[in-house]
Amino acid sequence: MTTKIPANLKYTKEHEWALVEENTVTVGITDFAQSALGDIVFLEVPEVGTNLKAGSTFGVVESIKSVSDLYSPVTGEVIGKNSDLESSPEKINEDAYGSWLVKVKVKDTSELNNLLTAEQYQEFCNTSH
Amino acid sequence: MTTLRTHLYDEHVKLGGKIVPFAGWDMPVQYTSVKDEVLAVRQNVGVFDVSHMGEFFVEGDDAEAFVDHLVTNDILNAPNGKAIYSPLCRENGTVIDDLIVYKLKPGKVLICVNASNIEKDFNWMKSKHQGYSCSLTNCSSIFSLLALQGPKAFETLRPLLSELPDMEYYSIFETSFQGQPVIVARTGYTGEDGFEIFGHHGTIKSLWQKFMELKVTPCGLAARDVLRLEVCYPLYGHELNDEVNPYDAGLGWTVKLSKQNFISKETLLPKPAKYKLIKLILDKGIPREGYPVLNSKNETIGLVTSGTMSVVLNKGVALARIEIDKSPSDDVFLVDIRQKPFSAQLTKKPFVTGGHK
Repeated sequence: MTTKIPANLKYTKEHEWALVEENTVTVGITDFAQSALGDIVFLEVPEVGTNLKAGSTFGVVESIKSVSDLYSPVTGEVIGKNSDLESSPEKINEDAYGSWLVKVKVKDTSELNNLLTAEQYQEFCNTSH
Repeated sequence: MTTLRTHLYDEHVKLGGKIVPFAGWDMPVQYTSVKDEVLAVRQNVGVFDVSHMGEFFVEGDDAEAFVDHLVTNDILNAPNGKAIYSPLCRENGTVIDDLIVYKLKPGKVLICVNASNIEKDFNWMKSKHQGYSCSLTNCSSIFSLLALQGPKAFETLRPLLSELPDMEYYSIFETSFQGQPVIVARTGYTGEDGFEIFGHHGTIKSLWQKFMELKVTPCGLAARDVLRLEVCYPLYGHELNDEVNPYDAGLGWTVKLSKQNFISKETLLPKPAKYKLIKLILDKGIPREGYPVLNSKNETIGLVTSGTMSVVLNKGVALARIEIDKSPSDDVFLVDIRQKPFSAQLTKKPFVTGGHK
């Protein structure tokens, strides 16, 4: 399976991507994830002000036939959510990396070292599927 | 446990089909997009490999009488060339399977059963076979089966076969493709016009390849499930199972109590129903199998048996089994989605009206 994995992002084993800009992290799901899910028809992400914990579920993405939890790559407070995406979640299928879900303000940036690099994520996708 | 593969497995892989285990088989769940595959069937034409399903032949003087005794629907009085949908029940009324009986000609009946129930059905039928002058043969391993579905199914199929009349919905016709015999039925489980084509493996593989040449959309099990749910057809293992009777699942119309005798008649005579199957549409949220259905007081009254996002309506739709005793008089229904109640509209009609004849 060929999949786009931009080099400037960090990744989780649950197929979320994270764009790190100082202590703000923008989160979405990867091209691999959108392709595996198929037609995405529903998205539920937390409101601004919600506290997320790294590795815990923070929302749900649904395709026609399946329900998948979203896992937060980082611990911190939601400072922005992409409301447009909730009314047109199919945009994730069109452009997974252009469709961010939430922006999180991170307290402890050392935690970001636990995330996968693009290279490691590519390796993970190759071996696990 | 090793999974089985249909004779079209390599074709599915070549087409990029995503393969999943289903009822003991490795089957394509989707090729490109569930949405596109559903729309192909509703608006144009699509084809499904359903070779995993089972085929039994009953042949001999008592063929019709034997099958009529086994199932709840009326087989004896149906004309030759007809297909009849029916539950297969135990003496206590519970549903062993739902199947289609095809009356090929006097003394020859084909029964098509769900893949997951082939052995269970065959053993049951065998146990009831004594005293009937007819053979019962499980031919599942020598037949492949395609379902060509959609408004353009007839015009797609007709030029490929030696002969194909514009036959009635739920009828059957024996003809040939490239000189090889095929059995063609105007059936399917999508609500659209369409045909199911039974034949030997090589014949069906050639026919599949012909459909691909003609750009018929290959469709997977996910699209099939959305299509049948949009038109509210029950599926064994969801709306039907070993615990419920036909009345519990809204299939009272398939129980012909006026028939002289059949297995389960005594139990089904008073039309016993503990449950009823209801249809729900949600403006927000997607109901899924197993989600609780609540009344206005937030009390659980049943469970969703099948749920999905309808491609045609772009809304969540569900079939749900609720306890008759708890059926609310105000018709207010909620579906509990991840511990949040979402309001659901009760509807009497199927979510989508299929275009079949």
